[in-house]
Amino acid sequence: MTTDHRDPRRPRANGPTDVAGHEVRAEGTTLPTLPGDTHAHVQAETATGSRTLWGDAWRRLRKNKLAIVGLVWIVAVLIMTISADLWVPPLFGDPLAVNTTPGASLQAPSLTHPFGTDKLGRDVLSRVVYGARVSLTVGVLAVSISLAIGLLLGALSGYYGRFVDSLVMRSADVFFAFPYILFAIALIAVLGPSYRNVFIAIGILGWPSIARVFRSSILSVKENEYVDAARAMGASDFRIMFRHIMPNAIAPIIVYGTMSIGGAIITEAALSFLGMGVQPPTPSWGLMLSDAKSLMFRAPWLTIWPGFAILTTVLAFVLMGDGMRDALDVKMKD
Amino acid sequence: MPALLEVKNLATHFTTRDGIVKAVDGVSFTLEQGKILAVVGESGSGKSVTALSIMRLVAEPQGRIVSGEVLFKGDDVLKMNDSQVRELRGDRIAMIFQDPMTSLNPVFRVGRQIGESLVLHKGMSRKEAFERAAELLDMVGIPHPRERARDYPHQFSGGMRQRAMIAMALACDPDILIADEPTTALDVTIQAQILELMMEMQERTGAAIIIITHDLGVVADMADDVMVMYAGKQVEYGTSDQVFYRPLHPYTWGLLASLPRHDVDEKGALRPIAGQPPSLINVPSGCAFHPRCPHARGLCSADAPELIDANSGHLAACHISPDERLLLQPPGRGGGVR
Repeated sequence: MTTDHRDPRRPRANGPTDVAGHEVRAEGTTLPTLPGDTHAHVQAETATGSRTLWGDAWRRLRKNKLAIVGLVWIVAVLIMTISADLWVPPLFGDPLAVNTTPGASLQAPSLTHPFGTDKLGRDVLSRVVYGARVSLTVGVLAVSISLAIGLLLGALSGYYGRFVDSLVMRSADVFFAFPYILFAIALIAVLGPSYRNVFIAIGILGWPSIARVFRSSILSVKENEYVDAARAMGASDFRIMFRHIMPNAIAPIIVYGTMSIGGAIITEAALSFLGMGVQPPTPSWGLMLSDAKSLMFRAPWLTIWPGFAILTTVLAFVLMGDGMRDALDVKMKD
Repeated sequence: MPALLEVKNLATHFTTRDGIVKAVDGVSFTLEQGKILAVVGESGSGKSVTALSIMRLVAEPQGRIVSGEVLFKGDDVLKMNDSQVRELRGDRIAMIFQDPMTSLNPVFRVGRQIGESLVLHKGMSRKEAFERAAELLDMVGIPHPRERARDYPHQFSGGMRQRAMIAMALACDPDILIADEPTTALDVTIQAQILELMMEMQERTGAAIIIITHDLGVVADMADDVMVMYAGKQVEYGTSDQVFYRPLHPYTWGLLASLPRHDVDEKGALRPIAGQPPSLINVPSGCAFHPRCPHARGLCSADAPELIDANSGHLAACHISPDERLLLQPPGRGGGVR
């Protein structure tokens, strides 16, 4: 994002809000916006009496085309998977229904099977859509686990420092010392390969990064005078931590968390590809790639579609995260 | 009845890699109900640390209050447990910080921040506190207080933020208001407004004020008592009139002489005090001011002068005898200040 993008959003000094609001609108509309966005933008600006930081961030995010493309894609995938039961089986067939009639397997894409069929005669489109369920669930649950552990430990580490800090950060170092995928495979080997254990393993492996990011964020926020002011007001450690520091330190976590969902989806695909993840016959993108690898040249649609799904979905999360980084950045400027 | 605040022989030290910094080294003073005490000195003289020590806000573990007593209405703050200190902070003793641009939390509405201490100490609901916050904003002279209370700090100007900080500090009607260089980060025109506001609020609420500043001019009109600090020690203490009209310590003379004067100025340059404030790790022997003092003598580098009462409560720590002082014609004489 260029600076002129943000300048109109900078904290305004004196003067009534409506005057300030006008300025923003006048400058805002000259900036590149999505087609059809200008009108909505002006409306939103008029509607909100007092601007919030998150409201500002959302307005900035909306100007980032790539982030919006990512967001739209994520929402589209979400809607597709949630409503899958309604339209996929009747139109394209059950993702698990094996069809052994001669000629049913390895069909090239056609009208009845737009993405073709696999070697067991199952519809690939149907499996890709249901595979999204697995991927998104694993992504979100794994990152939730990482967040739960990472935020708590990162917060303790950053706020209390000293012994707690050393303990948490050295444990994180231990986790970082192992090659990621190898560690994941080892964990799965212990827990046993299953859908549930995949996100547990990915979640456990993700906490050290979250803890580090959050810790450093807290360390910088902690130095602000408003933290001293809160202490001088008689606020307890708990209150200072959760009400004064955390909300100001959370922005990098939102960015990192969003991107991590993409990472978790890739890891799930990799583990499933290696047979250590989701087990057949559950449709998973990684598993589909694994099944298709020997048929890559005879039936390329078997690899193209799940591969495309992984690529676009992960990219969407990364673009989203990147856009959020720019959108939330303004606080670091003032 | 005990004094509102009595500080006795307070010493706060910081442990650094290079050694122990005696930021505050044996400071004593008394603050009575409704009085204004100005603490004056250069950067690093221990003014702010004195204030922070009173509220037990010195950053541990590097900083430690090593000795002394801070008696608030007779109770020693330094002996209280954490929750007792928290009850005191913001409720009985409130603080205004130097930089209004950074001392408001950017993610909360101004009204909510002002109301926070009311929720904490007075058990108000968030809504009641918000209402009261709007009244407080009105009191400190912010137009359209009800609307502005819904604003975020970045929508306020520097002067307005400092007004909001004052409103925040006054929310619980504290007995003591500590203002750590409240005007340093502001424009000169706004400075005057803020000081006026503080005076007005003081008259209205009857709170005692400790104002910390390096600008003598700022406090000349408003302070009842003045304490001059140098290298962590008190060098002079007295009523505002005593310190401004009959200053005893050469350091105070230097401070007064270095003030820009509008009335008697012969277009001369400012007269700064020569030299630098001393390192607090290797404080000069004897009187810490002797390397910079134009009147220093052998005794000064050998023996640290005691803080002695020179004249009805006017204390100074200096070896110069009263007779000598008259001959030296110190620059106080008043009038020139402001």
